[in-house]
Amino acid sequence: MTSVTAVEGGPEEYAAATSVEQAVQFLAGGDGTILAGGTDLMVEAGRAVTNCKRLLNIRRIDDLRGVTEEDGQISVGALTSVSDMLADPVLVAEAPILADTADRFASDQIRNMATIGGNVCNASPAGDLILPLLILDAELELVAWREGGLATRRVALGDFFTGPGQTVREPDELLTAVTFAAPGDGFRALFMKSGPRPALEIATVAAALGLRLDNGAVSHVRLAFGSVAPTPIRARQTEAYLQGKELNDSVIEEAGAMAAEEVTPIDDVRASAWYRRHLAGVYTRRLLGNDT
Amino acid sequence: MTLEVAITFELNGRPSTAAVPVDRSALAMLREQFGLTGAKLACGEGECGACTILVDGRSVNACLMAAVDCDGRTIETIEGLRDADGLHPMQQAFVDHGAIQCGYCMPGMIMQAKYLADRQPDLSREALRRGLEGNICRCTGYQKVFDAVAAAAGLPKENQP
Amino acid sequence: MKPIEKKSVIGGRVPKPDAPDKAIGRTQYINDIELPRQLVGKILHTDRPHARIRGIDTAAARALPGVHAVLTGDDVPVMIFGMNKDNVPLKKGKVRCIRDEVAAVAAETEAICDEALRLITVDYEDLPGVFDPAEAMQPGAPAVHDDRPDNLSLAYKFDHGDIGAAEAESDVVIDDVFNVHYVTHCCMGPGCVIADFDTDGRLTIYSQTQYPYNFKMDLAPALGMHPGDIRVIQPPVGGAFGSKLDVYPFEPVAALLARAARRPVKLVFSREEEFINAPTRQPARIHLRTGATRDGILTFRDVNCLLNNGAYTSWGPTTPYVMMRTFSSHFRVPNVRYRSQAVYTNNPYAGSFRGYGNVQATYASASHMDMLAERLGMDLLELCLKNAQVSGEVSPQGSRLNDMAFVECLTVAGEKTDFTAKAARYAAERDRPGRIKRGIGLASSIHNAGGAKIHKSDGCGTMLKLDDYARCTVITGASEIGQGIDAVICQIVTEELGIPMADIIVANDDTAIAPWDVGVHASRTTFIAGNGAQRAAQKAREQILRAASHQANLPWDALDLREGWVVQNENGEPVVKLDKLLREMHFQDEPELVMVADYYEPPSEAEGPNHTGDMSAAYSHAVHVAEIEVDTETGEVHVLKVTSVQDVGRVINEMGLEAQVEGGIIMGLGYALSEELKIEDGIVKNPSFRDYKLVTAPEVPELELHFIESDSKTGPMGAKGIAELPTIVIAPAVANAVYNATGVRFRDPPLTPEKVARAIYEHRSPKVAAE
Repeated sequence: MTSVTAVEGGPEEYAAATSVEQAVQFLAGGDGTILAGGTDLMVEAGRAVTNCKRLLNIRRIDDLRGVTEEDGQISVGALTSVSDMLADPVLVAEAPILADTADRFASDQIRNMATIGGNVCNASPAGDLILPLLILDAELELVAWREGGLATRRVALGDFFTGPGQTVREPDELLTAVTFAAPGDGFRALFMKSGPRPALEIATVAAALGLRLDNGAVSHVRLAFGSVAPTPIRARQTEAYLQGKELNDSVIEEAGAMAAEEVTPIDDVRASAWYRRHLAGVYTRRLLGNDT
Repeated sequence: MTLEVAITFELNGRPSTAAVPVDRSALAMLREQFGLTGAKLACGEGECGACTILVDGRSVNACLMAAVDCDGRTIETIEGLRDADGLHPMQQAFVDHGAIQCGYCMPGMIMQAKYLADRQPDLSREALRRGLEGNICRCTGYQKVFDAVAAAAGLPKENQP
Repeated sequence: MKPIEKKSVIGGRVPKPDAPDKAIGRTQYINDIELPRQLVGKILHTDRPHARIRGIDTAAARALPGVHAVLTGDDVPVMIFGMNKDNVPLKKGKVRCIRDEVAAVAAETEAICDEALRLITVDYEDLPGVFDPAEAMQPGAPAVHDDRPDNLSLAYKFDHGDIGAAEAESDVVIDDVFNVHYVTHCCMGPGCVIADFDTDGRLTIYSQTQYPYNFKMDLAPALGMHPGDIRVIQPPVGGAFGSKLDVYPFEPVAALLARAARRPVKLVFSREEEFINAPTRQPARIHLRTGATRDGILTFRDVNCLLNNGAYTSWGPTTPYVMMRTFSSHFRVPNVRYRSQAVYTNNPYAGSFRGYGNVQATYASASHMDMLAERLGMDLLELCLKNAQVSGEVSPQGSRLNDMAFVECLTVAGEKTDFTAKAARYAAERDRPGRIKRGIGLASSIHNAGGAKIHKSDGCGTMLKLDDYARCTVITGASEIGQGIDAVICQIVTEELGIPMADIIVANDDTAIAPWDVGVHASRTTFIAGNGAQRAAQKAREQILRAASHQANLPWDALDLREGWVVQNENGEPVVKLDKLLREMHFQDEPELVMVADYYEPPSEAEGPNHTGDMSAAYSHAVHVAEIEVDTETGEVHVLKVTSVQDVGRVINEMGLEAQVEGGIIMGLGYALSEELKIEDGIVKNPSFRDYKLVTAPEVPELELHFIESDSKTGPMGAKGIAELPTIVIAPAVANAVYNATGVRFRDPPLTPEKVARAIYEHRSPKVAAE
């Protein structure tokens, strides 16, 4: 027989942390759910926020906001909002692809709330912002409260995702920053996303390219796709093919065909696997041909 | 009983306090605890913008904003726009340009429009269209919304891009 | 005092009277209303499309503190409603589609309702489902309703002339199947109802309905009540677009809960519930054959429609009434045969939606005109002009086409867009290299513009009074759903009575007070309610001027009302201030107040059983030209510009008219390019704005609107109804433009990027595509 109880619901514990230390100490108690931008947690359907046990509001940790550069290393605080990324002078100067991608993200209202940390930890296969970070060889800084002190580890973004919505982040870890080396001159970086909407769209396919040429030949290449696999991925075979090649029409054509083969999309309510492969090929050719 | 937290914040220019369940959205708080029914629950997932309010001067979807995190912040809703003299110029422009039909999306639309116009006085027509991408309207087809915002923001009259 | 000039407010740009309250967030929509002691109601919908209900266990839900009522089909008598008498509010015995209402709860809070629903367990025996109407017609198919084993629902047929002979005379016959799809209204205000019984068992229902009077008649059997005991209050709503023209189960369910709980019950849909439960547009498989002579004269249309009825019958399967009109009167067609069959399936079901059958039919007929033009080697505009009707013609169904402007609409559209030259130029570019292709497409249609006599009366009642301060109240049966009838009525009354629009209140939200109207549908409201308001105002005007004629020593028809004064018509000389006159009339020995009533019945005919009859008091046309760009690799279609030319009879509120046309075009663009309610095996796969793609602000094209004033002899001040044509015409214009750009014809909207990309890919490389 089902026992009848008065309706309870909602988290049993709540805290608004103002420092990383406070936050990870709370998480060390287990069963913690992080409230950052809220754009995933607060969605009405599924009521994730009601169903969590211990709610940690990290939005008051000002240290986690903002972009800094030191010795060519750029650090984007995990709580930096997508709107802030759009306008940040360091990013605009050093990694404009992040600003461009941020501009293609959701809507103004969501951009004002959503954070880069939330986007990364949400680990959607379609995660738009993850793609430029992949091509920038970004790393993640994760902090936990272990043995009475702060414990930090770094994980390459490419190693972070294990499946749709799944990452290697331990339940007691807080993502504090996303870091990458400023690419400097000669780095061509482009982002493309399916439309026709410019932004408010869970992409059928999104793609990002990072490229360096040395006398017309590819000296460095990163090609990332979203929505064509269980996680955002780099097309490593296509990258390997391109390495060292001169970027002419037939190479571009071949790379497009390769990328279309390399991705592993599924049929779902938004699109068929056929179309996703097709777009992967189209986008690869356009990104390489600098023709967006 | 759901855990509640006491918060204080500025609401439409006035200091306010509330005891909010920790899982409540700002939208539910405004509508149910303050009787401010201008912002609407139309999708609950940040896709339609009918709940748009300003928090610390930035537009957000109130349905996704945690009420507990309103603590210490400045909240502006559609009800706070008008003053003793009458409608805010943005509100008046929407009326004058026929931009309101059923009107359900309009509190959110007007708040977003005001935010765009205040943030960027030289707002281009293209930036205006992008800026409203998170506000869905089923009645108007957006044309007169563009006209109203352009007029209120003092943009030059020009053809659609 | 200076003479007062006659000024007209007709044709001006008039803000809606309710706009200021809406702009400041003051308007109390039905979704905002809270009645004292109100309970929250929620419905347990089934999660499977076809199953027997073996048992429902509600014991735990009933015992939950804060729950005031739990109902299943076993707790109420069987009360059948619906136009095919195939529906009950709470389902008993079996479920037939995923909307089916298995149980309902009224409780003190939403959270308690949710918990109560979770505690209800239903024991189902799954039954095989049938989802395709063609399959459902086969012998041995699962029966959706046990008492209708053949699954056949409404069927329609219309014949005019001799198809066989016409075919023999045709030099060209084109033959295509068009599959038009499920879309949904996406009203920004989700479904909401508040039911409140008084101690005598009479019901006050706060409803989003757009047809309040027949709504009482349709709701009553679902509650075992007399229609006269139901009072309908219509608060402001967040859109309707035809979704509120029938009784849908959630409303009687809320009333049953209110009756059981003896407290008011408010039931609101989440957006997900709205997507799943709101009626859809009627999908259809349209097999159309069109014949013509080599000179481009249409000879016949032969139509066979198969309609997916869904599990219950609402206004979707009746869309053939209008489809027939399209196929028989969109251009001059001397021979017509129309057959349609609706078939029950375990799908969600369709209702009425702006354009009502004409959207579906015109997609086919306007596509065929484009295809015919190409077949004949003729310019599409030339082909259209050859077959466009002119004033005085009568259609095969007996529609008297008076005050026509079809030829003018076509001509203006062609000139303004340079259609013929561009169409030729873009077609020539098709096979040249380049991934972006431009295209231009033209489409047109005809729609009723003077009401639609589908019931015995297509009328509207109006009552009008003036108080001692010359403030006017117009009580109209017509509903305001955002379309702007409030502004139009104010303009008409101002025009007749010479008082400021700000001094007029339009009241129309309570069936206990307002007189009868058939409802907001069929683009009828300006025409019918406008005529009613004008007649009532004219009665008041005559009464006032007769009273003033003694003072003026002039016959009453030598007087006029201008700017709050009675004046001499000829020279504008003031005679007496209106409010002063009204007080004099009131306080004279035999008091006379200005209180008038009117019932306007348009001069139209209900259709007979053979579907003939001049069922509207006016008709009109619209022509759209769409200019687009296609990215032939991604399949993305960008609509650059839409030029609309529409016969509006007369412009009353220029701003309101533009607003309706603009909104209608964007709605139709969604139908053409991106909106699709994906239903697979009876399950709605995309019940959210995330995956159901409405047109958003950055996607909106440039719009150029032209209004032709044909000056209807039957319309108020010459006006015709306008609001559906913009949604009807745009989709085939876009499809024709995509053909112009790519050489690929799309018979199955929407033209999504994937669909367009794939079709172009296969068109260009059929050998590769076959692999």
